[in-house]
Amino acid sequence: MSWQWFHRLGSPRWFYQTSTRWLPLLALIAAAILISGLVWGLAIAPADAKQGNSFRIIYIHVPASFLALAGYYIMAIAGAVGLIWKMKLSYMVMKSAAPIGAALTFIALVTGAIWGKPTWGTYWVWDARITSMLILLFLYLGVMALQYAYHSIDAASKAGAILALVGTVNIPIIYKSVDWWYTLHQPATIKFTSAPSMHIDMFLPLLVMIVGFYLFYAVALILHTRSEILRRERKTAWVRELIEPEAR
Amino acid sequence: MGHSINSGYSAWLKRDLLLAYRRRGEAASPLIFFVMVSTLIPLGLTPESSQLAEIAAGMIWVMALLATLLSVDGLFANDYQDGSLEQLLITPQLLPMPVLGKITAHWLTTGLPLTLASPLLGVMLSLPTSGYLPMLCSLALGTACLSLTGAVGAALTVSLRKGGLLLSLLVIPLYMPVIIFGTATISYAIDGLNWLPPLAILGALFAASVALCPLAAAGALRITSAN
Amino acid sequence: MTMYFASFQDLLAMDGHGIYVWSAVIISLLVLAWLIVAPMLSRRALLKEVARDILRERARQSSSTNTQGES
Repeated sequence: MSWQWFHRLGSPRWFYQTSTRWLPLLALIAAAILISGLVWGLAIAPADAKQGNSFRIIYIHVPASFLALAGYYIMAIAGAVGLIWKMKLSYMVMKSAAPIGAALTFIALVTGAIWGKPTWGTYWVWDARITSMLILLFLYLGVMALQYAYHSIDAASKAGAILALVGTVNIPIIYKSVDWWYTLHQPATIKFTSAPSMHIDMFLPLLVMIVGFYLFYAVALILHTRSEILRRERKTAWVRELIEPEAR
Repeated sequence: MGHSINSGYSAWLKRDLLLAYRRRGEAASPLIFFVMVSTLIPLGLTPESSQLAEIAAGMIWVMALLATLLSVDGLFANDYQDGSLEQLLITPQLLPMPVLGKITAHWLTTGLPLTLASPLLGVMLSLPTSGYLPMLCSLALGTACLSLTGAVGAALTVSLRKGGLLLSLLVIPLYMPVIIFGTATISYAIDGLNWLPPLAILGALFAASVALCPLAAAGALRITSAN
Repeated sequence: MTMYFASFQDLLAMDGHGIYVWSAVIISLLVLAWLIVAPMLSRRALLKEVARDILRERARQSSSTNTQGES
């Protein structure tokens, strides 16, 4: 009885129809929060005492980094749910989460590199966080490439799920190793988000942007999953009814 | 009455060792690669002894990693092609045990020779004397980790064409902690610090890999059988 | 809330850091936009494909019923 809602949740059709209703509202809220956060951070918040205005990149860099990491765990959890309960929809979510996470990791890396130039004169620094972000990008690309290489959708999903889970176990290990490696070699103390105590006027827009990015991620994930649902279910009756509602 | 779970391990270990012996030339190529590439480094960089000494530890580790990566592809590929992988999958023993046997054979024919050959490279690359013992220890443990982790990637890509390149892409991020602590072991020793802590972490990575990688590889192999 | 910058020109220039901040913003917005537009386009293409399949099947059905009617 109590599992009914869980299994209904696993129906691609239910997901598609429900998201059709709620997606516009969610997208509107996400856009509103993102735009207001961006305006607040770029134009209204004060500049940093040491870094000047270039620190405003933080309003994109930090939320993107959070979501890049959270997105990997979402992808791995979706994979695990698919493996354990053999839920097709979960595999579709997992497949959709990969390119979104990779794109966000890319944004985090690029904004980080651009931020680095005015701050300490170079586009790339092998510090712990950037290096870990780069490895995270490789992990994402691996999950995408593996699923792409398989012809059978079922095998692709299972292999992708296993790889995502292997990566999940490794992410803390990789981060701790790289962190340790960097403290071993660093010539001087360079911290990326240099503000140990950020002024509230700078912190609030950052919070707004983080919330906005989470909502954006949800919207993007739902959009990609809807496409994947159509792709895999296009021979079914309910998809056909989307085009041609049964006239009989 | 069931078979003891160890019978799968030694049977497949012996089998893979025998097969490797029959294809000795092929089995030796990672080792040859390892030694030959070491001549590329002075040619590409500098013959200057002092400069080589600074990068020797890292370069030896990178080359050992690449040599292992080249060879791990064949861990399941040959069996897949001649049908013996199917036999492996219907074996009555728990699948992780035969898989661990195969991985052990792989290490004995790849990682161990690399480790034993490494002092030769140390001499060629002017590795400081204090680095030799740490290098042997870190390579022995580290290449075992590489074989274990590589097996997971090999299992995931065994049924794919051009699986080898994809295998490298999948596995290199997972190799990074091993190389970090492997080279750190040697660097610590060269700098006069206690090199046992990083080696201990390498040992912990090895322990975790022995416990988890055979399970993951076995699970991945089952996918390819259903494919 | 008042703007930190005195004028719009100042907002663009950001005391010399403008090129960094704005290029980061623009690149990010382009990537985020692509993450939204790409699935929308593929959804549209997929629905078109389904419509085509329906038409094709209907054509096949009508031609087979025609031949049935002849016998």
